[in-house]
Amino acid sequence: MTVLGYLANGLVFSSIIVLGSIGLSLVYSIADFANFAHGDTMTIGAYTSLVTFGAIGGLGGAVLGLPYGFFVALVAGIAVAALVAVGTEKLIYEPLDIDSIGLLITSIGIAFIYRAVIQIRFGSESTDFDIQALRPIDALLPYGIRVTLHDVAIVVSAVILVVGLHVLLQYTDLGRKMRAMADNPDLARVSGIRTKRIKLWTWVIGAGLAGAGGVFLGLFNQLAPRMGFNLLLVIFAAVILGGIGSVYGAMAGGFLIGMINQLTPFFSNVVEALPIWPGWLARVAEGLVSIEYANAIAFVIMVLVLLVRPNGIAGEGAT
Amino acid sequence: MSLLANPKETISDLSRPEKWVLGVSVAFMVFLFGALVTGALGPAYFLFLVGLAGMYALLSFGLNAQWGFTGLINFSVAAFFGIGAYGSALMTADSSPIAGGLNPIIGLVVALVVALVLALLIGIPTLRLRADYLAIASLGLAEVVRLIVLNERWLTNGSAGLRGIPGFFKGWPVLSSFPETMPGLRLVIIPGSPILLETSFWRASLNVLLVFAFAGGTYLVLRRAHRSPWGRVLRTIRSDEDLARALGKNTYSFKMQSFILGSLIMALAGVFYTHLNLYVGPGDLDPITTFYAWVAVILGGSGSNRGALFGGIVIVTIREGTRFLNEVPVIDPAPLRLLLIGVVIVAVMRYRPQGVLPPQRELIWPNAIDDRGAPERPESGVREQKGGGDDE
Repeated sequence: MTVLGYLANGLVFSSIIVLGSIGLSLVYSIADFANFAHGDTMTIGAYTSLVTFGAIGGLGGAVLGLPYGFFVALVAGIAVAALVAVGTEKLIYEPLDIDSIGLLITSIGIAFIYRAVIQIRFGSESTDFDIQALRPIDALLPYGIRVTLHDVAIVVSAVILVVGLHVLLQYTDLGRKMRAMADNPDLARVSGIRTKRIKLWTWVIGAGLAGAGGVFLGLFNQLAPRMGFNLLLVIFAAVILGGIGSVYGAMAGGFLIGMINQLTPFFSNVVEALPIWPGWLARVAEGLVSIEYANAIAFVIMVLVLLVRPNGIAGEGAT
Repeated sequence: MSLLANPKETISDLSRPEKWVLGVSVAFMVFLFGALVTGALGPAYFLFLVGLAGMYALLSFGLNAQWGFTGLINFSVAAFFGIGAYGSALMTADSSPIAGGLNPIIGLVVALVVALVLALLIGIPTLRLRADYLAIASLGLAEVVRLIVLNERWLTNGSAGLRGIPGFFKGWPVLSSFPETMPGLRLVIIPGSPILLETSFWRASLNVLLVFAFAGGTYLVLRRAHRSPWGRVLRTIRSDEDLARALGKNTYSFKMQSFILGSLIMALAGVFYTHLNLYVGPGDLDPITTFYAWVAVILGGSGSNRGALFGGIVIVTIREGTRFLNEVPVIDPAPLRLLLIGVVIVAVMRYRPQGVLPPQRELIWPNAIDDRGAPERPESGVREQKGGGDDE
């Protein structure tokens, strides 16, 4: 594969990571804790759309290789993920009287409950959407790019959702209130913003985007009960890289982490080609920059960012 | 609760949750003993469970030294546990790709040294971070360790894991051949269902002895450390790090010491697990181990070593108790276990965030309390008492 091919793959994977990281970052800044259940919220979205799609079928025509029914299922996945998150906030998080660390630990319990319920219902094996896998687009093959129409659909849908969020945050009343609350919750409250209601909307948007990300992840790879939890740390890496609490930072971080993740094979080719001396160092470098360590590289970047620039690459107050 | 109806002095001194825990433990013990006598539970398997409970207690002690004492959110428990297990397995196992066949004592030492190095590697970058960042970073680094163990086949045998691990007492004078030399006993308590005590039973009892030694020693060290001036600094850091710094304490250094202490204890749990299970694989580094230890600590009560012990036993009950559901085809035990763990976490945080046995008298030197034990609970609130009398 060429560099362009890896970049194209990176773009697709980045779209999924971006959808996940925006929600995590929003919840982090407005509900004020690291939500470890975010990955499993993605799983909920994915399995909801699997069930919905299985129930309603294709509904006739198709866009970008995906039947209409899939898009209905996508909306269902987003809606159910948002509903579950709001229900959890109302039932569990809101009545709790503990600090953000306690909320973090609670969210781990929530994550286990989500995953356990899905695993009880669907088993631990991975499944696929009942959609015919497509051949890569012929026109792009000469450039070494192997993407299918489905991949294009993922990127286009993610862009639509991200632009929609941008409009919401910048040009609507709700968006202004959310930004105010992320900035200073007490000040927002005394200014007459109903912070509880804004928090619920944050959960709706964050979990909805996560649900969409989960559906696309299922389309991109497969569906498995662990899919979300396995991706959670990569998403955390993206959020931290972009700066916690900054939505645009999370977009940038998600994009970068997704790219780095998919470009790892390319990097490993580069490392092999580089004249590293002495020989053992070259072997170590080749061993560590390989596809098995794609996630590990993201985690190491995350720790480095935390050490060097705890506010992320975007800096502070970029929301 | 007829036991509590005739109050002995010691029991009446206990606080309410302590009585509950005592009652439940006694009932549980009676239940286990019944299962043992009727032959529903094999004696060797029972001792295996006791060993496992001891191991989880050890793991919880380690986490308690970090989170309970100092408030460090360490989500890399599984990494230290795994490093301890792999360190000793690589030294002692027949199938080890590097050394192998060495004395388990050497394995123990190597495991602890490697865990010390790893604790420094993880601790130096992460301990300066804010609490929630520490959680994420340590979980990430634990995953890095897991991926290395999984992928570096020349070092760890990769996903195949390590087999052919000897018992811990291999090469010791009497104990190495103790299981084989002990006669097979046949106890008939209930006619028709005899209990056989064979080599596996004696081997398991040696393991239980070992974990009691590990856990007992650790418990004593931790109890001493927790009450010492050193432990007081840690507790100050936990409640207010800025205050500790204002008092002239180098909090980073104290956090590092507590992190290393806890990590070594976790590695010790790993060493024991190696010789208990006789197989080590990359699956043992799964993050779920970390969260098992966390559940044990927050359920027992953060900062309480007794609580950690209690939590460890509960975890084994959840982990192994669900195995008996294998016969029931309705529900798969693996997700059920996950569900139970999740529900326990949420329920504890919701209803009793301080845990079942929060540290109270544990933190006070025994001779600082007068002979009557616990101070009396005032009938009315403290504020009312203070408001009532000006010159007391």
